Amino acid sequence: MSSMVSLMRMAAFVTGIALPVFASAQEKLVISDWGYANDFLVPKVYEPFEKANNVKIVIETGGAPERLNKARIRGGVDIIYLTDKFSQIGIDQGAFDKIDASKLANFDELYDAAKHPQGDYGPAVTFGRYGIVYDKTRTATPITSWCDLWRPDFKGAIAMPGFNTTGGPSVVMMAAKCAGTDAFSDPDAAFRKMAELKPNIVKTFSSGSELTNLLSTGEAFIGLAQDYAFPAIKAANANIGWAELKEGDFAMMNTINIPANSKNKELALKFIDWQISKDIQQISSIALGGGQGPVNKNVELTPEQASRLVYGEKAVTSMQTNPYEKLLAVNADWESRWNTVFGQ
Amino acid sequence: MPTGKAAGTRCSGSNLSHSPSIIRRLSVIGPWVLVLPASLALLLLLVLPVAGTLMESFGNPKGIWENYRLFFSSSYNRAVLIRSFWIALQATAVSLVAGFFGAYMIANSRPGLKRVLLIVSVFPLLTGVVVRSFSWMAILGRNGIVNTALIQLGLIDQPLSLLFTQGAVIVGLAYLFTPLMILSLVGVLETIEDDLYLAAESLGASPFGVFRQVTLPLAVPGMIVGSVLVFTGSLATFVTPRLLGGEPQMTLATLLYQKAMISFDWEAANTIAAIMMAVTILCVFLMGWLVRRATSARVAQ
Repeated sequence: MSSMVSLMRMAAFVTGIALPVFASAQEKLVISDWGYANDFLVPKVYEPFEKANNVKIVIETGGAPERLNKARIRGGVDIIYLTDKFSQIGIDQGAFDKIDASKLANFDELYDAAKHPQGDYGPAVTFGRYGIVYDKTRTATPITSWCDLWRPDFKGAIAMPGFNTTGGPSVVMMAAKCAGTDAFSDPDAAFRKMAELKPNIVKTFSSGSELTNLLSTGEAFIGLAQDYAFPAIKAANANIGWAELKEGDFAMMNTINIPANSKNKELALKFIDWQISKDIQQISSIALGGGQGPVNKNVELTPEQASRLVYGEKAVTSMQTNPYEKLLAVNADWESRWNTVFGQ
Repeated sequence: MPTGKAAGTRCSGSNLSHSPSIIRRLSVIGPWVLVLPASLALLLLLVLPVAGTLMESFGNPKGIWENYRLFFSSSYNRAVLIRSFWIALQATAVSLVAGFFGAYMIANSRPGLKRVLLIVSVFPLLTGVVVRSFSWMAILGRNGIVNTALIQLGLIDQPLSLLFTQGAVIVGLAYLFTPLMILSLVGVLETIEDDLYLAAESLGASPFGVFRQVTLPLAVPGMIVGSVLVFTGSLATFVTPRLLGGEPQMTLATLLYQKAMISFDWEAANTIAAIMMAVTILCVFLMGWLVRRATSARVAQ
């Protein structure tokens, strides 16, 4: 482990030297994404774009934080998909370029919520939600509120995202709400409430696949999940359903951005336009289901297709939102409080 | 180098004008040329990155020790450091006991069986760390072998929480590294001559007495070498605590990963890496010293 950081730096250095040397005549567009949907994205979204623009698309996959880190420090990435939490971190670090919306032909077809989710930076490309899933056969009383997570009969039952994930800090906000206060004005109360949740947590996870694993092996029967992971969870354990919460789910969105150090910004902009176009949005929403709520107003889905997605502006605006700028401002303080509660 | 010296001596008696000096020069340079590629590769890929990591841990503009001060001033980090040591120490103790009995059995079995037992005990090393740690998830899980067996035997009616605990991490680490302990001990135990056992027995020592006064003291160097291998390995392993432990079982290795890959805090990550390196090097030196002491004590006896 000790030399991993250095190895990464070394690799970054070598790639930095090697990349220009091996650059071929054909233009190249480097896209950084999670990798979980590439079986669909490559043939249906990336390859048609390659053909239409005579360009070679190179894909880099991985978790959001490490991809953002690579794109910012090493460079060589032209397009990066991130959840809105991590794109906000990137924006704060000055890692991305602003986007000139007038150059995007499909921009006016976007829902307003997707146009400028984080100022003049990249638009949203999917809408999703973050809520609670649970095995309905393992509890007699359904979960109807975030505050149900504190129920004594859920001892050792819950898989919760770690603090440094997109969904982690939202739990703190809900804890404060359940304690009748606000997490930003009274973090002491919020984390006192979090400490009360500790006996119910069986494990904190850092990726959707880890959550799927915990729920499918029965280690946990309640999970705090983003809907992109739901199809896989449902496939692993059919008894698991999405809880209808009276406070509502949290709105999540994925954004697309052009790193400031990209060498291929014109083409990257063209790709963003392609990604938000009606056709691409439509086929992605239908094929991928959960987590892929369309951002283009012209996408039309059948009620069955729409039932798996956050569909339409009303669905988006009716959910709770994560105030990322506020959250990032208190990040260090909350992280150390979180570690005190869960790390000992 | 001996080649160069030998060639030089051989040529010095000759009176030929050019060739001897060329040969002499070549034979002096030759070995250096031969080791150059490997040395360069090591320098570029190992020494420089590690030196870079070390230097950066001292690179805080506020002062050389600032990163270390920041690390040690957090009670959370101190708790992680102590926990890492404690977990590694317990894993070492478990694999010392398990490894000793395994090695004792192997060393005292028939030659044919010995080979089979050695292969069996080293067999886990042939699979990856992830697989070996994951298998413990299947054993210790809610619906795992242990819980199912206990429930079916009627000993418990609710599954025990075995997974994601410190115990699970220790068991996983001990399983991971016991083969190394066995390998270190088998060699030492095999060299103990049978005459010593016979002599002890003829002087009236009980089997336990033979074990305590002959076998155990003579095995000390192997135990120390094995323990250091297991201890440093347990301290640095990332996968096992990550898979079998939870957030309350955070160790230096998992904290390093979190700092480097998730919170972008490379100064802290460098500092943790440097601390882990220092501990490992210290352990190796300590091992050398202890082995020398144990050996000299034996010689004195």
